[in-house]
Amino acid sequence: MTAAHIGWSVLAALILFALMGPLFDPVGPFKQSLMKALSGADAAAPFGYDHLGRSMFSRLAHALRLSLLLAFAATATAAVIGIGLGALASWRGGWLDRGLALVADSVLALPALLMVLMMGVILPSTALAFWAGLAAVQWVEFFRLTRNAARSHLASPAVEAATLQGFGPVWIFRRILWPEIGPMLRTASAFGVGNAIAAIAALGFVSVGMRAPTPELGLMMVELLPSWREAPFALMQPVLACFALLLALNLIAGDRR
Amino acid sequence: MTLLVAKDISVHAGSDRLVDPVSLTLEMGKAVTVLGESGSGKSLLAQAILGTLPKGLDGSGTLTVGGDTFDPARPQGNRVLWGRRIAVLPQEPWLALDPLMRGQQQVAEVHDLVAAASEPAVRAKADLTALGLEAAGDKFPWQLSGGMAQRLAFAAARAGGAAITVADEPTKGLDADRRDDVLALLRKGLEGGGLLTITHDLTLAKGLGGEILVMQGGTVVERGPAARILTAPQHPYTRALIAADPANWPRRVPPSVQPVLVRATDVTVSRAGRTLFRPVGFSLSRGQTLGIFGPSGCGKSSLGNAILGLLPYEGTLWRDPGAPKLGFQKLWQDPPAAFPARITLGQGLDDLIALHRIDRKRVAPLLDRLKLSPSLLTRLPSGVSGGELQRIALLRALLLDPVFLFADEPTSRLDPVTQAETVRLMTEIAAERDMAIVFVSHDRALLHSVSDQMLELSAQ
Repeated sequence: MTAAHIGWSVLAALILFALMGPLFDPVGPFKQSLMKALSGADAAAPFGYDHLGRSMFSRLAHALRLSLLLAFAATATAAVIGIGLGALASWRGGWLDRGLALVADSVLALPALLMVLMMGVILPSTALAFWAGLAAVQWVEFFRLTRNAARSHLASPAVEAATLQGFGPVWIFRRILWPEIGPMLRTASAFGVGNAIAAIAALGFVSVGMRAPTPELGLMMVELLPSWREAPFALMQPVLACFALLLALNLIAGDRR
Repeated sequence: MTLLVAKDISVHAGSDRLVDPVSLTLEMGKAVTVLGESGSGKSLLAQAILGTLPKGLDGSGTLTVGGDTFDPARPQGNRVLWGRRIAVLPQEPWLALDPLMRGQQQVAEVHDLVAAASEPAVRAKADLTALGLEAAGDKFPWQLSGGMAQRLAFAAARAGGAAITVADEPTKGLDADRRDDVLALLRKGLEGGGLLTITHDLTLAKGLGGEILVMQGGTVVERGPAARILTAPQHPYTRALIAADPANWPRRVPPSVQPVLVRATDVTVSRAGRTLFRPVGFSLSRGQTLGIFGPSGCGKSSLGNAILGLLPYEGTLWRDPGAPKLGFQKLWQDPPAAFPARITLGQGLDDLIALHRIDRKRVAPLLDRLKLSPSLLTRLPSGVSGGELQRIALLRALLLDPVFLFADEPTSRLDPVTQAETVRLMTEIAAERDMAIVFVSHDRALLHSVSDQMLELSAQ
């Protein structure tokens, strides 16, 4: 069993929890019962209650749902845009290539969190702002990887042969480029999802991300921080969930095969 | 005087024996040449003697250098030989030289640090003068020509005072002029010592004389004085090897007169604003072969690619408008690079067949004609030998019924026997199908025996 296997199992367990958790949860993430604030586990809330008496089990499952959904959506969007533009730039070359590289370098000069905050001003919902902002930052990584890898492969005799034999760009991409750059992009995607999750949690933690009462990992941490003495386990839960998620993604990304 | 005695040297990988026991003796002023194709174990033999076998391979036998005994099974002990008693001639001088150090310094450093000689600068200057490199003393390696760099690397390798020189494939990938340079260098090395050369180059072996060992599959199949081996070989493999030398190929029979396919007038190609070669003109008919010769970097490949329509050109280039669109095909110098690396060869052919609705039944007879096993198609390009891969590339081109084939040094990375077979198949099939070939090579003898006309490119 390799480190990557552990990573995949932890990720699968967390996704399963996020998907299935709410099905077995009778109370939901918003129902308050102040009498039970910060109390331990019972049948209705297997992970105990937070400072407002909400079920930690339910809030954790919903928070993971939100983080995973946003991070995967943002990375998938970034990958499609980045790979597409990267392949186009290396294939057409010339001013198109230079122009796209200039745009990518400019985006890279902006801090990622600033981009998300700017999107927050433009877009109506915070979730949409996260999706658009993270995708707008992450596509650069995919663009640069694809462009550099594709440039050397497109100059190879294999591509020259394919052209002489009448194959089109789609075949060249599918049969020559994709098998070469695919594994590399899988690593980049795992890092991308991890970074997105960390970014969502970080903004939640400094209270400029998701708004209360939305269950979100970073927001939950900062809400429970004042009660760390009374209910250390409640605070530990979002921290551990976030840590496990990032660890799993980094183990997957580090797979050398 | 005997410089080196190697007795029963063999190489094992675990329990597999890769090189059967070989004994050889190096005498002062005498050359020993090991001939064979790649995979014959000739480089392993040299590495076992030097003590530079890769991890996982073990040498055995006994090695005596000037009265001292060494154990090939314990190669750490051989370190004292390196530079001081055995010099290794680097295959790639550009990689062996320090790019940040001037010529004379590179040689002086070896005199100073390896031989611990007095007045290293004076000795280095004398070495350079002896090799006609006075001008290279205060130049950096990148300012030298290939031949000069090779001589400089030779001077640096020999400055440690070693009497024995080992040269592993010293002429691999060199054009004829550079090969003569190397031969002259090695002869110079012979004047004050012994020489062990590993090569598949018959011209080099002939030029060096001395003793020749012919290796095949890890075994020495024939050995003897160069004059006898090269003129009256006994073993069938040696005969095949000598017959494979382009200089010994049968003369080409000129094809019958056919319609013209490509006509070029004052054609040249520019790269990055620089004209590559003086404008050339030729007229190529179907069934004919045009050989293109010239120093490396003079634009031989670019001219071929211009004919294929892959590169822009200057001048007039007429291609028969009646020729099919996919009728202009190419063979590449590096066969593995010409195939998608991550899909099987069969998958690539299937895609081609599907794309152009080619009759699948045509593949089997072509495989047969090119002496290829159908099971090769289930492999990735990296799992197939260069010669087989080049024939599969030819098969791939033939499926498109080409009228023109641009062969860009198609055999320069192949062993001589494989080269002879590949070229013979190519020319036979071209004759059967009235296919015109433009053949690029740096081997003039090869071009002479395959072409109907020759075109020599010269730099602008």
